[in-house]
Amino acid sequence: MSRDTEHGPRERRGLDRRDMLKGLAGATALSAIPQAASAQTAKEAPALAKLAAEGKLPALAERVSANPLVITVEKVGRYGGSLRRGLRGSSDHNGILRMVGNQGLVRWNLAFTEVLPNVADKWEVNPNSTEFTFYLRKGMKWSDGKPFTADDIVFSIEDCAKNTELYKSPPSPIVINGQAGTATKIDETTVKFTFASPYALFLEQMATPLGQHPTLFAKHYCSQFHPKYNPGVADLVKAANLSDWGTLFRNKCGDIEIPSRWGNADKPTLDPWVIKEPYTGGATRVVMERNPYFWQVDSAGNQLPYIDRLTFSISQDVESLMLDAISGRLDIQERHLDTLQNKPTLSQNMQKGGYRLIELVNSSSQQVQIYLNMTHKDAKMREMFANKEFRKALSLGMNRKEIIDLVYLGQSEPHQTGPRPGHPWYHEGLSKQFTDFDPGQANAILDKLGYAKKDAGGIRLRPDGQKVFFAIDVIPTLYPDEVDALELVKRHWAEIGVDIKVNTIERALYYTRGDNNDHDAAVWPGPGGLDPMLDPRDYLAQHTQGSRYAIPWAQWYVSSGKDGQEPPESQKQRMKLYDQARATADMQKRGEIMKQVFDLTADAFETIGICLAVNAFGICRNNLQNVPPKYPNAWSWPNPGPALPQQFFFAT
Amino acid sequence: MLRFIVKRLLWMVPSLIVVSFLAFVLIQLPPGDFVTTYIATLAASNEVVDQNTAADLRARFGLDRPMIVQYFKWISGIVLRGDFGLSFEWQQPVSDLIWERMALTLVLTFSTLLATWGIALPIGVFSAVKKYSIGDYVVTFFSFLGLAIPSFLLALVLMYVAAVEFGQEVGGLFSEQYLTAPWSIGKVIDLLQHLWIPVIILAVSGTASLIRVMRANMLDELNRPYVTTARAKGLSEFHLLVKYPVRLALNPFISTISWLLPNLVSGSIIVAIVLSLPTAGPLLLQSLMSQDMYLAGAFVLLICALTLIGSLISDILLALVDPRIRLE
Amino acid sequence: MTDTALSSVDSKRLAVASQWQLVWWAFRRHHLAMAGLVVTAFLYIIAIAPGFFAINDPSQQNARAAFHPPQVIHFIDRAADGSWSFRPFIHPSVFKRDPQTLSAIYSEDKTRKNYVRFFGEGYEYKLFGLFSTTTHLIASENKAQPIFLLGTDRLGRCVFSRIIQGTQISLSVGLVGVLLSLTIGILLGGISGYYGGRIDFAVQRVIEFVLSLPSIPIWLALSAALPQDWPATLNYFMITLILSLTGWAQLARVVRGRFLSLRTEEFVTAARLDGASEGRVIFRHMLPSFASHIIASISLAIPAMILAETSLSFLGLGLQPPTISWGVLLREAQNIRSIATAPWLFAPGVAVVVAVIALNFLGDGLRDAADPYNK
Repeated sequence: MSRDTEHGPRERRGLDRRDMLKGLAGATALSAIPQAASAQTAKEAPALAKLAAEGKLPALAERVSANPLVITVEKVGRYGGSLRRGLRGSSDHNGILRMVGNQGLVRWNLAFTEVLPNVADKWEVNPNSTEFTFYLRKGMKWSDGKPFTADDIVFSIEDCAKNTELYKSPPSPIVINGQAGTATKIDETTVKFTFASPYALFLEQMATPLGQHPTLFAKHYCSQFHPKYNPGVADLVKAANLSDWGTLFRNKCGDIEIPSRWGNADKPTLDPWVIKEPYTGGATRVVMERNPYFWQVDSAGNQLPYIDRLTFSISQDVESLMLDAISGRLDIQERHLDTLQNKPTLSQNMQKGGYRLIELVNSSSQQVQIYLNMTHKDAKMREMFANKEFRKALSLGMNRKEIIDLVYLGQSEPHQTGPRPGHPWYHEGLSKQFTDFDPGQANAILDKLGYAKKDAGGIRLRPDGQKVFFAIDVIPTLYPDEVDALELVKRHWAEIGVDIKVNTIERALYYTRGDNNDHDAAVWPGPGGLDPMLDPRDYLAQHTQGSRYAIPWAQWYVSSGKDGQEPPESQKQRMKLYDQARATADMQKRGEIMKQVFDLTADAFETIGICLAVNAFGICRNNLQNVPPKYPNAWSWPNPGPALPQQFFFAT
Repeated sequence: MLRFIVKRLLWMVPSLIVVSFLAFVLIQLPPGDFVTTYIATLAASNEVVDQNTAADLRARFGLDRPMIVQYFKWISGIVLRGDFGLSFEWQQPVSDLIWERMALTLVLTFSTLLATWGIALPIGVFSAVKKYSIGDYVVTFFSFLGLAIPSFLLALVLMYVAAVEFGQEVGGLFSEQYLTAPWSIGKVIDLLQHLWIPVIILAVSGTASLIRVMRANMLDELNRPYVTTARAKGLSEFHLLVKYPVRLALNPFISTISWLLPNLVSGSIIVAIVLSLPTAGPLLLQSLMSQDMYLAGAFVLLICALTLIGSLISDILLALVDPRIRLE
Repeated sequence: MTDTALSSVDSKRLAVASQWQLVWWAFRRHHLAMAGLVVTAFLYIIAIAPGFFAINDPSQQNARAAFHPPQVIHFIDRAADGSWSFRPFIHPSVFKRDPQTLSAIYSEDKTRKNYVRFFGEGYEYKLFGLFSTTTHLIASENKAQPIFLLGTDRLGRCVFSRIIQGTQISLSVGLVGVLLSLTIGILLGGISGYYGGRIDFAVQRVIEFVLSLPSIPIWLALSAALPQDWPATLNYFMITLILSLTGWAQLARVVRGRFLSLRTEEFVTAARLDGASEGRVIFRHMLPSFASHIIASISLAIPAMILAETSLSFLGLGLQPPTISWGVLLREAQNIRSIATAPWLFAPGVAVVVAVIALNFLGDGLRDAADPYNK
């Protein structure tokens, strides 16, 4: 048995009168009220109770595992209702994933600090963190009523994730030091993962969305598209007019983050709601209905989810989502409208739309991380950027207060990088160094570095006579706030004689330039504020696309020295330390190791930050209950999933 | 005439081949490929693609091979098997995706066309005949106003007013209840109830130019000697107008047919995006933006073919309406 | 404008007037067109010297004035003793941020006055791109207290000054683009329609080919493929070129249709029998006979280019900030937030409407005036 006691208090509000008048979705919700009362005794949704009584569905006890996951809810809810959310035109499959698809072996707690049981009831880890034994729930079922066992996990890992025709290289959460782990069946409900080297981070990885391969594929269904189990798969491929079995397999069974995961209504899943109207190219909405075999119950033993249906409307333009929010046609939504700039509009319309705001704690560390390319192809530029004093001067030369006031509405504080304040690993030196506005000192440093000469426009000249000038790549469509912030930085730096170009470019070009190491500098939000272990790209060159201050170093690290460029000693030390931390299960010890990493990062001062990543927010209809008022906003903690939407309910 | 048509039809084949290749090159011209844009899209929601998966995707879609190889793979599928390939993004056959949206696109475009011509032609004639009257100034002013307001702005403001002030839903073409319902009288009525908003927005910007062109052409014709002759012969003013000047003034209209047909697919993209209409436009734009090669390529080919057919039709019509034009 | 109406022109002058004089006389009768001409001329004057008409530096952000609403100008200045004078001023505003909604709240400080000066001192700019000067048509007497006639955007930048600055690019995109497409369009359309036969067939295939290339992918591809290190002006020129790329083909088709039908007219045959060269037949005889149609097309094409630029910006493909054009400004306003809380951000839309209408009336009047049959 596992528990979850973290759903904080929230105010309860009566049903808004506008609610009565709203569209048909609301009407469906209301029509379910009379039945709901009787449902509470049956401990299952009235519609399911009816089907079970008619013999069309097995009884509740047979559907739910003998050992279900018990969710300690703040308030025992009532069944019924239809929850409305919005998706953007395309490639927004993760909008569905975040709501329903987080049924991995383990899950995160609300604070994003600890891993809790989920599909696995409990687990054991051997002392050197190479073997993980998961104990599953007896009698647990897929959404089509077929049993879920250790075989499914072994099939998913050994036959699918590690199949080179399906995945050219195995998904990285199950890989450590270039070698994929092995899943072995111990008995029907016990499965063991074995790794060649210590991998303490494996548990945390399994709680993230990318770590859900073990529970993704139902063997009894997906094996029919797999040549190992179905020799006739070639005929199926031909009948579907496809080129190979891998495509067919993905069409039918999906993958973690591709649209076709939500495109097949026949696929069995472990999710609280299952697809009724799929997410396809022509769809204008996606509808999901409750999974009658869902394996979680509330503290009173009622089967979850409380809410009958999820309706995702698909808008081509994000603005129409805003409109839906303001006019009260979304029940809970933070995706696509959570930018700070929308907050005044959304808070002014709270009354009209009948919603409240929920706070989303940004999991990132830095809102606008400036990455100067320390491995620039041009030797002169490289020399300039690689000098810590130069970076320090730039950092001292910007007026963070003005940027925060203007662009971030005063909702942040000067910051460099590192775990967020309040995180047990918060590192003041790393976060706060050189954040004062001191143009005098900045000028003095630059003078000393040999950039004392200036041209007619007051811009400093390098010893070779070139202007001190570089372009900072930014994607205006993705992060308009970063463009605004950079425009201010440009002015600040002009004061200390440094000229920049705010290089607004298209997103694909941004990536291509990074991949080719063509950029002078780039900005991006700096991650690792709440999840320093999962995304340490700013603490050491670890991410071949994200560590934009030295991508060749990251390539060197990832390829174990085969590709890229050899990094300096400080980086190498950090890489070693990080590997060590990844293999350390004891959080105390891991923290000590990471402290050394942060010390080295602070000393190297590779990235220049502006301010602490700003918290986002979401809207939540007043009658939607059991929604925590505050939760993280992250990809590794795919909000609102770990806040458990299956225990949200509509108050009468 | 027949020879002419056959000749033109045969000419379409090389044109289409050249266009298909050019389209393929053009779509790939922007830096990056489908996988980079896919990664970037997810990044917008702070989502990360597994680094191993990215390389895997490229190989699976054949993006790691030279462009010419990709092109031949695509074009041979079309020519040999009539297979337009799979959309990278949706993993669904391209032809299904396009046809799924075509019906509603046609409905929207033709309604808009009817509305536009229905408004523009009579007003254009009126405004030419009653030149410099108060009526002429009024319709001229309003048609210019319609032309001048960017349609996406109009759409957005209308949506806001309807949603916030009147609590009405404006996006889409169907209400919630009819979305997946089979076709019925109720569904058609529901469609009409939703259709008028986009049709008006689109017609507002379209009518002005048609009125102006119609008026200009009419004025050219009205002063011709044959009009005076006809009037002298005692033909009623209405007959006189309809019989010759209007017919001749339509000549440039017919030339426009050649780009009217492709507009069925590629027109009204922006309004469709703002209003979340399930038409082909947003899908086309999306496929181009995300470099979903096969989907975008098929769209470009379709548009191209429609243009070629459209210009053939307009040439034939030109000859029919105006006997002075000979095709050979 | 003089009081000489066409009717009062004595017949002697009429008889010896050149074609363009006739056109001008006819044009003056069309009052809306005259109004259009005046407005258009005014807009192009602004486009030539935007700095003079702007109040504040259009790129200057202001941390204390984000989403500042438009300020009211008071014209009558009452002194404490009850006397009054005509001296325009504004009340400076006080900034506060609502801690809950984070929206900025501005209230007028009635106790203070900030006088407006004509031909006063403001930020430094280059007149015609040549001379540095600080004189502006309208300026704030107190330099620390800017005047926001049309409010500010999210970064506290003056919307009025940005619209003025945007005039330059938006109006020239239309002009340059139309000239480009007009030249190619008339040339190819004319050749095609005049000669007919094989040449027509070949040109038609080219036109069809260009037309059948969907414009949006071309825009997308080309604007994404523009080299990054190009200056904004060159990028802007390329965007214009891209816009006119598809424009010419449509015009060429229309022109060709006209030529096809005119080819067999008596006056063309007569001119040809007269031994006129082909160039003369085309440009002297055929072209003027449908010049009105071409003028109508241009009068619609310039505003269409302006609108196309805004649409391109809407799709994120056109000019990009920090370049200032009406399209860029409208794109920034294109969201629910602006409609709900800062409707003054739509002022660039009004500028577009005014320009488009004025250009249309102008073109309309020209068309009527150039019509030889117009009496």
